[in-house]
Amino acid sequence: MTNVINEETLPFSLDEVDKDGAIAEAMDTLERFADSRAGFLRKAALAAGGVVGGGAALGALASPAGAATKGDVAILNYALTLEYLEAAFYTEAGRMGVLSGPLAQFARIVGQHERAHVAALKKALGSAAVASPTFDFKGTTEDATAFRQTAQVLEDTGVMAYAGQAPRIASNAVLGAALAIHTVEARHASWIRHLNDAPPAPRAFDQSKSMEQVLAAVGRTGFITRAPQTSTSGGRPRFTG
Amino acid sequence: MPEHLTLETVDHDGTVRQAYEDLPSSTRRSLLQRGLVAGGAVAAAGVTIGGLPKLAIGAPGPAQDTKILNFALTLEYLEAEFYTQAVAGGALAGESAEFARIVGAHERAHVAFLKSALGAKAVAKPTFDFKGTTENQAKFQATAVVLEDTGVAAYNGQGANVTKKVLAAAASIVSVEARHAAWIRDIVRKSPAPAAFDAAKTDAQILAAVNATGFIKG
Repeated sequence: MTNVINEETLPFSLDEVDKDGAIAEAMDTLERFADSRAGFLRKAALAAGGVVGGGAALGALASPAGAATKGDVAILNYALTLEYLEAAFYTEAGRMGVLSGPLAQFARIVGQHERAHVAALKKALGSAAVASPTFDFKGTTEDATAFRQTAQVLEDTGVMAYAGQAPRIASNAVLGAALAIHTVEARHASWIRHLNDAPPAPRAFDQSKSMEQVLAAVGRTGFITRAPQTSTSGGRPRFTG
Repeated sequence: MPEHLTLETVDHDGTVRQAYEDLPSSTRRSLLQRGLVAGGAVAAAGVTIGGLPKLAIGAPGPAQDTKILNFALTLEYLEAEFYTQAVAGGALAGESAEFARIVGAHERAHVAFLKSALGAKAVAKPTFDFKGTTENQAKFQATAVVLEDTGVAAYNGQGANVTKKVLAAAASIVSVEARHAAWIRDIVRKSPAPAAFDAAKTDAQILAAVNATGFIKG
C-alpha cells in the first residue's frame, strides 16, 4: 500500500462542504450586517492581497520563526489576521457591556484566548508579523443576539481556516502551534453553539476552507475596514502588546 | 472520583501494552522515540513557537501512517463502543442522552472512515469493559470528558508524524473531538475551553493512560 488515504478510500470529499447549507446561512447572517456587496468584495480583495502578499514579502526577513518557510510565514500572518479580528470582536463586545450571564462569560474567556493566540503568533513571527487591520463590527458587538450569531460564524470559520492550512504547513513547530489553536477554536465554536441552542457538533467531520475562501467570506462581512498596512521598510510591528 | 476516573486508575491485564509490544521491536522503538521527542516539542509549541528546536522525527510515510491510523482507530473503537453501550444501557437522561446518541454516531463514523482508509491493514476491534461507567450518568459524564479531551490530545500529538493527506483527514476529525469535549464539559459545568492552547500527548502517554483505565480487555 503506497497511499493509505487517497481519493478512492476517502468516504467523503474533503472539499464536500455545507451539505445542509448551514455555512451559507451563517454567512448570510453576517452579510446582513454589512453595507454593500460591492464594497465587501473590493475590501476582500484588498485584505487577501495585503495578507498573502505581505506575508510572502516579509518571509525573507529574519524572524524568530527562524527557519520558517515563506509559506509558513504567510500562513502565520493569515492566522494572525483572523485572530486579530476575533480578539478585537470579543474585546469590543466586552467593552460594550450588553452581554450578560453565560454569554458574557463566554466573551470574556474566549476573548482572553484569542488575545493569547494573537500574542503567540506575533511572537512567532517577530518582525515579520503583519499589523492589525482596523475593524468595524457593524453593531454586532452591541446587541446580544447579533453577537451570538456572529461569534458562532467566526468560530466555525476559524476551525475551517486552521483545518485548511494544517496540511500546508512545513515546519513541525508551526504545525504544533496551529493544531494547539485549532482545537481551541473548535471548543469555542461548540461552546457558543451550545449557548445558541444550535448543535455543538453538527457533523462527524468538520470541513476545511482554503485561505481564499476564508478571506472572501471575511471580506464579505465588511468587518475589515482597512487592510493591514505592511511596512515596506523593515516590517517593524506597529503594536507590541 | 469522576475526574480521576482519568485513565490512570487500573491496569489489569495490560492488553494495549501487549499489543503494542507485539509489534516488531524496530517499529516500536522508533515510534516511541519519535513520539516522545515529537510530543514534547509539539506540546510546548503552543506557548513558545519561536524558540523551539527542530523536531527530531523521521519523515512521515505510508508505513508510519498505517501505524498511526491504527492507533487512532483503536481510540475511536473505544469511544464508539463507550457511547453505544451507554445509549443501550438506558441510564442516561436529558441532554446527556442526546450527547451520547449524537457523539456515538460521530465516533462510529470515524471508525468507519479509518477502517476504510486502512483497508486490510485495519486492526480488529478489541473487546471492552467500561467498568460501570456506561451505567451511571455521573460516571458516564466524567468519563466522556476524559475520553474526549484525551482524543484531542492524541490527534494533536500525531499531527507532525503523518503525511499531509492523512493530516488533512485527521484535522477534520480532531476538531469534532474538540467540539464533543467542549459540549460535555458545558453539560457538566466545566469550562468548555479550559486553556488558550490545547495540549498534545505522545502515543506513549496516550497508551499509558488508556491502558490504565482497564477499559480494553483484549
